[in-house]
Amino acid sequence: MLKSPHEYVDGVLNRDRLMLARTITLIESTLPAHQELARTIVDLLLPHTGKGFRIGITGVPGAGKSTYIESFGNMLTELGHRVAVLAIDPSSSRSGGSILGDKTRMERLAVNANAFIRPSPSSGTLGGVGRKTRETMLVCEAAGYDVVIIETVGVGQSETTVASMVDFFLVLMIAGAGDELQGIKKGVLEVADAIVINKADGDNILRAEIARKEYQTALHMLMPNSPNWSPPVLTCSSLEHTGIGKIWETILDHRKKLSDSGEMSKKRKHQALDWMAFLLEDGLRQWFYSDPQVKAALPGLRAEVENEKTSPTAAADTLLRFLQVNNR
Amino acid sequence: MSENPKLQKWAELASKQMKGKSVDSLDWMTPEGIKVKALYTAEDLEGLENINTMPGMAPYTRGPMTTMYAGRPWTIRQYAGFSTAKESNAFYHKALAAGQKGLSVAFDLATHRGYDSDHPRVAGDIGKAGVAIDSVEDMKILFDGIPLNEMSVSMTMNGAVIPILAGYIVAAEEQGVSHDQLSGTIQNDILKEYLTRNTYIYPPGPSMRIISDIMAFCSKNMPKYNTISISGYHMMEAGANSVLQTAFTLADGVEYVRAALKSGMDVDTFAPRLSFFFGIGMNFFMDIAMLRAARFLWHRLMSEFKPKNPKSSMLRTHCQTSGWSLTEQDPYNNVIRTTLEAMSAVLGGTQSLHTNSFDEAIGLPTDFSARIARNTQIIIQEESQVCHVIDPLGGSYYIESLTNSIVEEAQKIIDEIAGLGGMAKAIESGMPKMRVEESAARKQARIDQGLDVIVGVNKYKLADEKIDFEVREVPATVRDEQIARIKEIKASRDQATVKKALDDLTNAAKNGGNLLEAALPAVRARATVGEISDAMEAVFGRFVATTRCISGAYSSEFKANDDTITAIKERTNKFLEKQGRRPRLLVTKMGQDGHDRGFKVIASAYADLGFDVDISPMFQTPEEAAKMAIENDVHVVGASSLAAGHKSLIPALIKELKKIGGEDILVVAGGVIPPADYDFLFEAGVKAVFGPGTPIPVSADKTLSLLEEKYR
Repeated sequence: MLKSPHEYVDGVLNRDRLMLARTITLIESTLPAHQELARTIVDLLLPHTGKGFRIGITGVPGAGKSTYIESFGNMLTELGHRVAVLAIDPSSSRSGGSILGDKTRMERLAVNANAFIRPSPSSGTLGGVGRKTRETMLVCEAAGYDVVIIETVGVGQSETTVASMVDFFLVLMIAGAGDELQGIKKGVLEVADAIVINKADGDNILRAEIARKEYQTALHMLMPNSPNWSPPVLTCSSLEHTGIGKIWETILDHRKKLSDSGEMSKKRKHQALDWMAFLLEDGLRQWFYSDPQVKAALPGLRAEVENEKTSPTAAADTLLRFLQVNNR
Repeated sequence: MSENPKLQKWAELASKQMKGKSVDSLDWMTPEGIKVKALYTAEDLEGLENINTMPGMAPYTRGPMTTMYAGRPWTIRQYAGFSTAKESNAFYHKALAAGQKGLSVAFDLATHRGYDSDHPRVAGDIGKAGVAIDSVEDMKILFDGIPLNEMSVSMTMNGAVIPILAGYIVAAEEQGVSHDQLSGTIQNDILKEYLTRNTYIYPPGPSMRIISDIMAFCSKNMPKYNTISISGYHMMEAGANSVLQTAFTLADGVEYVRAALKSGMDVDTFAPRLSFFFGIGMNFFMDIAMLRAARFLWHRLMSEFKPKNPKSSMLRTHCQTSGWSLTEQDPYNNVIRTTLEAMSAVLGGTQSLHTNSFDEAIGLPTDFSARIARNTQIIIQEESQVCHVIDPLGGSYYIESLTNSIVEEAQKIIDEIAGLGGMAKAIESGMPKMRVEESAARKQARIDQGLDVIVGVNKYKLADEKIDFEVREVPATVRDEQIARIKEIKASRDQATVKKALDDLTNAAKNGGNLLEAALPAVRARATVGEISDAMEAVFGRFVATTRCISGAYSSEFKANDDTITAIKERTNKFLEKQGRRPRLLVTKMGQDGHDRGFKVIASAYADLGFDVDISPMFQTPEEAAKMAIENDVHVVGASSLAAGHKSLIPALIKELKKIGGEDILVVAGGVIPPADYDFLFEAGVKAVFGPGTPIPVSADKTLSLLEEKYR
């Protein structure tokens, strides 16, 4: 049963877990009616957002992302923060279904009264991770979560999308997993604000330190993203809770440096423009593909192009013309 | 093809009988990936290492004892324990009078996990899957009238091994029995707990130290006591096939040997006291061969450590028939299953055996079902005349060839584990767990398609299931009784002595010293199981499991475009179209029940069917499960229960959901739930109950129907 937008808005602002969860469901829904309602809610909540920390975390499978967040998140709530975790899990391309197991590795954080964890399947709507996650992040901020952590798997293109919506992007790695730099795309390193070598414990400490130096060298060869920040490479152990505090200090330092220089507000403004551009493209795409004439003509034209009866240029031209004609 | 003219002739004749089809078409690929032919001949024995050996002599393929059952039959050792120490004690007395030879104690889950009965996390678990033991006073009641200097006692304990073993030792002391007179076995196999059953307390490092400490204490003071029972049983129950069971169990064994050697012990001081525990399933010949192969391999693996005592490389084992193979449907069939499995264990040469009661998929054993189970063994032993000949299948072309195949396949996996740095490291990497889960998902898929037949479940189903026998229930008063006794003990003991003993134990955990030895004064002073566990937890911490789940394994066993699967996938897609998202299911396990096979197979299979499946951490309270259901905004919660906690935990979950606004979230239940309890659960608001053996497409169909009806 859908409620009025104000019921959702009041619920979120009153920090009602249930209403926050249901608002996120609306954001994630593929139904136009749900999306419209979600847009209204997000618009109403917008004035209550923007004050918190937005942190993106990625890493190769097995890097220990969830265990890291368990350790990091619990530390933050002890410092008095309220933490929301948005975990994006891959959907199966064959069945469309997904296994959302993040909380099994965040046992304490999952029952922490000052934490909210929402795993989401990656598949679903057009626009995917970009739109859904950004809006969910805003809603969490409005619900009083001053640290929002977005976790993605370290493969595919969702990382750069996530990096474009957070203040701080952290790449989690492990040592001794074969060829150190192979596991993760160079593009991901380029958007990293810090690299953290996890699992620096037991007989792994030495290897973690070696990996740290290797990454440091690799990062030196990349052009830094920001004039005010050169990404450090750190080590930590989520298991033994060592090095976790240092990472938070790094994030605070990053915020201070970028705020003092004015880069932070520029970054957020830039992200807002990026988002608008993204929404425009996404909207155009949706608008185009949902046009009845386009829908009717598309299969036939595709077949003609396939059979070399029409050229791709001519076919695209015909389709695009429908929109021009219809909107004169 | 063979050069043997007789074999060629046979192949021709056989082919003719099959209207031209080749004899190769009769080959069967076992779940272990072993190709089994229709006919074995002397040729198949050529060059095999495991043939032409003698019982009681290396490599012990034919049995660890020289005379085997011809000299003395296996020990009939039935595993039992429920509710209170007093009730279990009465049950033991009856069983011993009726021909049982050794005792085997089952503890409840709260005890396993080191919680006293008054701990708030375990309210639903007390006395359910075994006996509740909170202090040495309970231990004394448990063994009342049972002379511990004469009776061999086996205890299934892995997590809270220190307080329980110390409790047993002190109970014996107070009977006037000295340490060196004690005989029996403590399971004490912690590695497999991380792999399957999850009844651990501490992280792997400190847990391994506890094992070394127990081995050291016992080798000095309790020479007749088996300090560890390295168990494959739980792996089989979790879905491992026979090769995986063999490989992982022996690899666990090697890891314990290395740990003991590292702590400075000589191999011959502890290795002869290592014992094993295998699970025996319905693949009759396979598991006969498995026991033979395990003995052969253990000798090979132990030879590396150069023991001087031949007993150090001799594998002695207890066996138990499979609980997993028991069905809730048409349950008398379970008597026959258990008989076949018992025969398999006997022909494989086990040293002791537990036969399951036929009603174990429904409830706890009753006096009646326990009698049938015990008599199954007695009849094999005393009526069937199988005991006269040692290793009667030795030399069988098929059995010997199969033995060799298991040796080869298991060795490959053992080598792989060695490459990962040993079993502890392999477990950390998640490899063994993933293999077991994959094996489980595949098995479930074969059953759901009817490729693996289970009578009464996927073939020859009864139209009308009726329970016409008594089902044992644990009275709800057990918890109150236990709590009352804890209060009494705490009021009457000398607090200063207790405190000092517990501080000493914490100190030993921190700075070294034998933990079993350090726990004895605490037990004598009447410290509780929970207090002793906490004293060590203060240093070691409590271990948290990570659940990994694989997707795709379930559906990959199905033929492409299988109709049932396709139909369900279409419905989940339709749901997405209408509701804007896929049906979302939270699978959860509440209470201290750590059996996670079922719930992982469900998660993996439902994801393959197009559901979004959330998995909760283990050991949830109803409040925690409800919070997760709300937060993840699921349509339905599936509560899995295998340890008799369903009547308290599931209604508590429903109440909790209502309290926080999630009254529209459906709740379904699955696992070992007696049909007699179904109505109780329906009344509490459960929408569907799926008993053991429910094919996944059936439960998915029902769950989807419920959702489709609700969200029309």
